Amino acid sequence: MSPASSFALVAVLAPALAALVLAALPALRRQGTPAAMLCIAGSLGAFGAALAALSRLAHTHTPETWSRPWLQAAGLSLADVGVRVDGTSAPMLVVVTLVALCVQVFSLGYMHGESREAFGRYFAYHALFLFSMNVLVVSPNLLQLFAGWELVGVTSYLLIGFYYRKPEAAHAAVKAFWVTRFADMGLLFGLLALFTASGSFGWEAQLSPAVATFVTLMLFLAVVGKSAQFPLHIWLPNAMEGPTPVSALLHAATMVAAGVFLVVRAAPLFAQSETTRAVMLVTGSVTALFAACLALVQTDIKKVLAYSTCSQLGYMVAALGAGSVFGGFFHLTTHAFFKALLFLAAGSVIHAVHSNEIGKMGGLARRMPLTGGAFIIGALALAGVPGLAGFFSKDLVLEAVEGKLGSLPWIALLATAFLTAFYMGRVVFVAFFGAPANDHAAHAKEHGWSMRGPLVLLATLSVVVGYFGGDLAHLGGHAYHFHFTGGAALASGLGLAGIGLAYAVYGRGPREAPAIIATVDRIAQSRAVNRFYEFGFRRVTLVAADALAWIDRYVVDGLINMTGYVTLALGSRARKIQTGEAPDYVLAVMLGVVAMAAWVVVQ
Amino acid sequence: MSDLLILWLPLAVGALTVLALLVDALSPPPASGRAVGWLVVAGLTATLGATFFVDVAGPAAHGAYEASAWTLALQRLFLAAGVIAALGGVDHVAARAPKRAGEYWLLLLASITGMTLLAGARDLILLVVAFELMGIPLYVLAAFAKTDGDRAGVRDRRPSEAALKLYLVGATSTAVTLFGLALLTGMTCATRLDALTATPLQPLATLGALLMLAGFGYKVGVVPFHMWVPDTYQGAWTPFVAFLSVAPKAAGVAALTQVFVLGLGAQHDRWLPALMMLAFLSMAVGNLLALPQTDARRLLAYSGVAQMGYALLGVAAIGEQGAAMTLFFLTSYVFTNMGAFLVVHAVAEGGGGHDLDGLRGLAGRAPGLAAALLCFILSLAGIPFAVGFWAKLYVFLAAWQAGLGGLVIAGVALAALGIFYYLQVLRAAYMTDARGLAAPVVGAPLKLAIGLCLAAVLGFGLWPGPLVEGTARAAHALLTAAAR
Repeated sequence: MSPASSFALVAVLAPALAALVLAALPALRRQGTPAAMLCIAGSLGAFGAALAALSRLAHTHTPETWSRPWLQAAGLSLADVGVRVDGTSAPMLVVVTLVALCVQVFSLGYMHGESREAFGRYFAYHALFLFSMNVLVVSPNLLQLFAGWELVGVTSYLLIGFYYRKPEAAHAAVKAFWVTRFADMGLLFGLLALFTASGSFGWEAQLSPAVATFVTLMLFLAVVGKSAQFPLHIWLPNAMEGPTPVSALLHAATMVAAGVFLVVRAAPLFAQSETTRAVMLVTGSVTALFAACLALVQTDIKKVLAYSTCSQLGYMVAALGAGSVFGGFFHLTTHAFFKALLFLAAGSVIHAVHSNEIGKMGGLARRMPLTGGAFIIGALALAGVPGLAGFFSKDLVLEAVEGKLGSLPWIALLATAFLTAFYMGRVVFVAFFGAPANDHAAHAKEHGWSMRGPLVLLATLSVVVGYFGGDLAHLGGHAYHFHFTGGAALASGLGLAGIGLAYAVYGRGPREAPAIIATVDRIAQSRAVNRFYEFGFRRVTLVAADALAWIDRYVVDGLINMTGYVTLALGSRARKIQTGEAPDYVLAVMLGVVAMAAWVVVQ
Repeated sequence: MSDLLILWLPLAVGALTVLALLVDALSPPPASGRAVGWLVVAGLTATLGATFFVDVAGPAAHGAYEASAWTLALQRLFLAAGVIAALGGVDHVAARAPKRAGEYWLLLLASITGMTLLAGARDLILLVVAFELMGIPLYVLAAFAKTDGDRAGVRDRRPSEAALKLYLVGATSTAVTLFGLALLTGMTCATRLDALTATPLQPLATLGALLMLAGFGYKVGVVPFHMWVPDTYQGAWTPFVAFLSVAPKAAGVAALTQVFVLGLGAQHDRWLPALMMLAFLSMAVGNLLALPQTDARRLLAYSGVAQMGYALLGVAAIGEQGAAMTLFFLTSYVFTNMGAFLVVHAVAEGGGGHDLDGLRGLAGRAPGLAAALLCFILSLAGIPFAVGFWAKLYVFLAAWQAGLGGLVIAGVALAALGIFYYLQVLRAAYMTDARGLAAPVVGAPLKLAIGLCLAAVLGFGLWPGPLVEGTARAAHALLTAAAR
């Protein structure tokens, strides 16, 4: 076993160990703080090991795989379990563990008000989640990735539903799990077809064009669910019911990123299907633009960030659809840092003003300079202001998409860039400048170091990580050199224009929203997509279930009862011996037999 | 090798039954109940242990019975289910029916004897006889709950009804099976399963085969023959239901594999469409009807109907891989579903009742039970790293590779829908407040039973390799014996 893979294995097992200890020792878990410390120690260990694995890889430049046969049987060797360290998994592992670590440290302060028992439970879920995500990231084949994928789904259910006493939170947890799980059946179909065609769960298989299209389209269905792409994005805004640090973890670097990661991982398969990539390009750009429009009208700071996440994931998916694997992966990396930063800064604000509504904030930059500064850096990075992380990766995405499919996706993404800058500008000007909206906002204070430290770290990364694009590309065997082009100038120009417009509209105190935004608001309020699904579920599934139950109870029983009455009329004493229903069941048996016999005759 | 030696395992369980009868007859009633219960646990465990040392293989009774890897794998599964059922029920039976406890254990042993015989049956007559030996004691066992209300002075009709339904449906389906058997053997002039392979099926023989499929279908509880399942589960004692919901069903699916894959595999064009229809209907109706259930037992009943649908996918794949996957699925299902029912039982005894609402706040008041329930439910839902994940993946894979793509797509979609009701259970246990419910007091044997199920679910989930190999060997032994 080589050093890099042993480090990666440690990164997987350290949080697992913490979770196991917390599961086995309820007494320790109920203590609260010691449990949190154990969990953070596990994450710190994982981060250190991930960093070691990455530096080892940067040194040797040879991908390493360590695996053990997991399933083997005569004539049926199914899969291996193990770790793979390469230019995709090693950086991802570092990003995931680092963001998780920041989120956990931040939670020490943020979740302080919870009871000890809940505090311990919260951190136990975190450890379990990090383990699941790491299993996914380091997997040497798609089957282990699928296992990690499902585990991420389950643990995210626990995290999103953490405030289960709030009905919305419990509902959101079910919705998130169910929507993503429903899309996961695509992953299962894809794996079944892949295994049948190639005899393995590896992602390097060469498939015939039709099979490749089927497999990748099915995999992409799962990506649409997990990475909250239109039209399965509906679970993500609801999932904001979870604690804010959880949103930072799930919706920046881990759960939603898993979908994009799957495409990056299985890039050799996706490279084989032009059709799937076209579908991805369209889905990604539609999601990017659509979610950005919805983000314009949200008044809940977390919901703005939620839709913004959808929108940015759309960017990544579009880049992957345009064939730029590195573009998608690079944006995934930079986005992980600045989105985690934004969510945590939002959490810090929410903790101070006791509200999610941006209308109830105002003037916070003066009261909370560090948080305000951090949020503004994150917002600028997201808006793609030159020099910050988002600028480089966004530029690469736009460059990849340019000219594809009649330039429509490119135009959509440019428009998204403008809207992104505008809605982030809106949040910044309304929440952090102007006059405080109420007493809470006027007396808001910075929190302790456990909450400020992660903000500083993530803010620094959001500034500098864009400059490491070349190294990241080199690790993965891609070629990337930043060069300032007309496209980059256009995109950053649009970004600055968006900020300027936001200043013009919101910069000088609260104002009536412009007419166009009010219209978007009305459309958003209608929750059309959600209602479509609710209709689908309520009307179709539940009605089908009810109808079946009804047929079961009344039609079949009714037919049988009728037979029973006839029998009774004929003077049989059959109905006297029993409790009312039993002979019906026997008659049902006979009806089944008659049906079988009839079928043979027809055959 | 002598026939007696090859038949040692069914004989051993039979001898255990006699021994239990003696102990029951010779000791005074109040003490005997628990004593016989522990004797069953010890005896079945010893027999299970002995299977790892006694190495026999080959036909007995002129080929009507065969000891092989397939037979042994199933027998071990039934013995393990018996041990867990005995552990899970020993306290309950002694408390509820102190005077009749001995009878309970005798009947359970008789049923297990039938199952162990069934696993090795390679002859239609023996198979049906073994099936009845397994089935008849179950009717009586289902009726044990009818005296529950006596102490409280309430006459609850449900247990009698549950038993009567199981009995009437069972008896009728036996009649159907026997009629089918008569037609099939009459037209083909063969009772040996390997002799059936050679003969082309006449229409009447096809009818016979289909009637047998229907008869087994009732026992297994697949749609449209599922109607007794929820009522019986709701009416009978839950520790017994834990057994009823897994062991006889596993035996039924194994019998289907033996008759249809081994015996009639070559003529599959005649019966496969019917089997596929049963599988599809079970997955659809089971998953849909489980959605609105509020009683945990009824929910698990419909979930079980759906699970049997998945199991039939493995049978429908026809062939060695399909049989192996079916066996794997059955193993997974036995431990998972038993565990789930036993947790439901423990919670209900703790005062929560059998409603989903009775599970409320379980994570807070009994974290261990809640964690076990979580694992069982995740396993039923097919989430890694519980064994149910592999089980479902396997049957779907086998069916997909056998060209049943449409059925697999329907199955996966319906299974995804099924997540919804499994989540209801988890939500009740993990995301509600206890509101006045205390922590259930769980006796040591029941705890051990749940622990064994949990160990199997997680153990096979994390290390499925040995089980996969074992089931592949078993299927090979079953189906190459035919070619021999």
